[in-house]
Amino acid sequence: MYAVETMDLTKSFEREGGKGDRIIAVDHVSLGVKEGEFFGLLGPNGAGKTTLIKILCTLIIPDEGTAKIAGHDVTKEADKVKENIGWLHGETGGRALYWRLSARDNLRFYSYLQNIPSNIADRRIDALLDFFDLTKDADRLVKDFSTGMKVRVMLARTLLPNAPVLLMDEPTVGLDAAGAIETRKLLRGLCKELGKTIVFTTHNILEAEKLCDRIAVMNKGRIIAIDTPLKLSETTRKFRGVEVRVSGPQEDALRALESMSIVKKVVKVQAEEDHTVIQLEVIDEDDAMATIPESLKSNRVKLIGIQVALPNLEEVFMSLTGEGKVEGG
Amino acid sequence: MKEDKLIEAFGADEPRLRSHVRQFFGVVWANIKILLAYKSWVIMDLLSTVASVVMYYFVGLQVDPLRLAQSGWGTSYLAFSMVGVATSHYLWSCLTRLSHSIQHEIRAGTLETVAVTPINILTFFIGQTARGYLVSLIFLVGVFVVGIIGLGAQFSANPSSIGTAILLFLLMLVTNQALGLVAAGIIMVHKRGDPVAFIVAAMNEFLAGVLYPLEMLKEFPPLQAISMAFPYTHALDGMRRALILGSSLADTAVMADVLVLSGFSLLLVPAGLAVLDWGYRTIRMRGTTSSY
Repeated sequence: MYAVETMDLTKSFEREGGKGDRIIAVDHVSLGVKEGEFFGLLGPNGAGKTTLIKILCTLIIPDEGTAKIAGHDVTKEADKVKENIGWLHGETGGRALYWRLSARDNLRFYSYLQNIPSNIADRRIDALLDFFDLTKDADRLVKDFSTGMKVRVMLARTLLPNAPVLLMDEPTVGLDAAGAIETRKLLRGLCKELGKTIVFTTHNILEAEKLCDRIAVMNKGRIIAIDTPLKLSETTRKFRGVEVRVSGPQEDALRALESMSIVKKVVKVQAEEDHTVIQLEVIDEDDAMATIPESLKSNRVKLIGIQVALPNLEEVFMSLTGEGKVEGG
Repeated sequence: MKEDKLIEAFGADEPRLRSHVRQFFGVVWANIKILLAYKSWVIMDLLSTVASVVMYYFVGLQVDPLRLAQSGWGTSYLAFSMVGVATSHYLWSCLTRLSHSIQHEIRAGTLETVAVTPINILTFFIGQTARGYLVSLIFLVGVFVVGIIGLGAQFSANPSSIGTAILLFLLMLVTNQALGLVAAGIIMVHKRGDPVAFIVAAMNEFLAGVLYPLEMLKEFPPLQAISMAFPYTHALDGMRRALILGSSLADTAVMADVLVLSGFSLLLVPAGLAVLDWGYRTIRMRGTTSSY
């Protein structure tokens, strides 16, 4: 059984002032997220990621298809679904909190709604406040918090119910660099140590690449690719290539490499502080990996490293969607 | 290390309770906490309570007691107006508080964070009215304390008539809160319907006779007919009979008010719940559970 599963899920909205004209936000989406998997939804603005997440947490009723959380249907068994999810409100800059309550009281209020026994709630709240560096500000009203602090309270609130499935919309937006790194580490830790299933949207491709076991790329309501970050890179590579890092004179290295029959052409040369990165299109990567070190050695060029050249996730995304850049959506 | 501590605190999967009462208590608790966070506002409200009662005391000095007596309401305009003023605060709370609250929660995004929890959304909505009820209770108690102790307002109530007044008061809350549910359901969908609730509350206050005897409307039959369509008119009439004249359920006029209000309750409560449910379902269909 999947922790999160959708089958032909479809949702459209009436265009504002459109007189019956509809926008398809989610278009026959089918996916399965395994228990304990860290799953990313990546796509440009308006791709349908947030609508999909909101359907999963019962906030939006789908037009067609089914969606299940821990085996429970989001429309027919909404109460069961709610007991199995922790949801992070995305892109609000910390607005979705009660500003006239303190951080601790916001969490306590949520513990009442979640029906968590008081002694357990208190223990969890203390641990969360400590983790998110909010202990000394715990009893201040949230209205006086910075955006980053508000986002941390929201993250704490998402984790409070200890739900097996976490649905997170842009979890690190609004956090400073250190906070974002800490949060990523925590999310990864929760996924690994406690077996949480995490489905999250992000506009940060590097974040998706680092965190996710699998990524679904969405565009115009559809999932256009779904795989591990590595596989996505492999399937969208445009040429067979290797990336070579050398030190010493750049010309010597280029001359040596261009003279090799296995090298079709030099794709890119990039000078770094103390070395040069050369990307090559080759006839066969395995042969290139085996022969290039020997050839460079015989030409007295110092090799620092060699690896198969794969496009990064940004290039994958651009290749799949034809988009120039990724934004939240 | 913090991460280890956190993972330890969350390691055991403890069973949750299944209590609507606890969830309801949580909503009321949060509402009271939020109310107390507006300290200066609470103080200002208390001061305005005192000011309004004193104002009606002075207005009462200008009212001809004989004219009031001819309408059948004794000779104390202060007592007459106090019943209206004290309960009209509740009228406003019932009709507008929930819609205000829902509009705010939709704009702030907090409705969504509540809606994804296991609380029944109706439990949450009803709990949300607690803040308004609490403020109105402070106002009601303040009006009677200032009026009776401070300004010597006279009532002819007895235990039986006080019980009758409480029954009528509860029926007033039920019927008007049901109207408030209708308003909240509509406002949830259309987002900007608050002026309608405001107009209905203002018309209610005007036509139900908060500050003057309804007998005065005899000269304006259309207005009198409209006033009879408001539950508050009947509640106010019955409560005044009970508190000012000492009547109880044995009085046919009071019993008539109770029956009319019961009829309104039977009609309005299911309607209010149905419209609220429709509103909540509609915003989930349209994806407008938040708007910022």
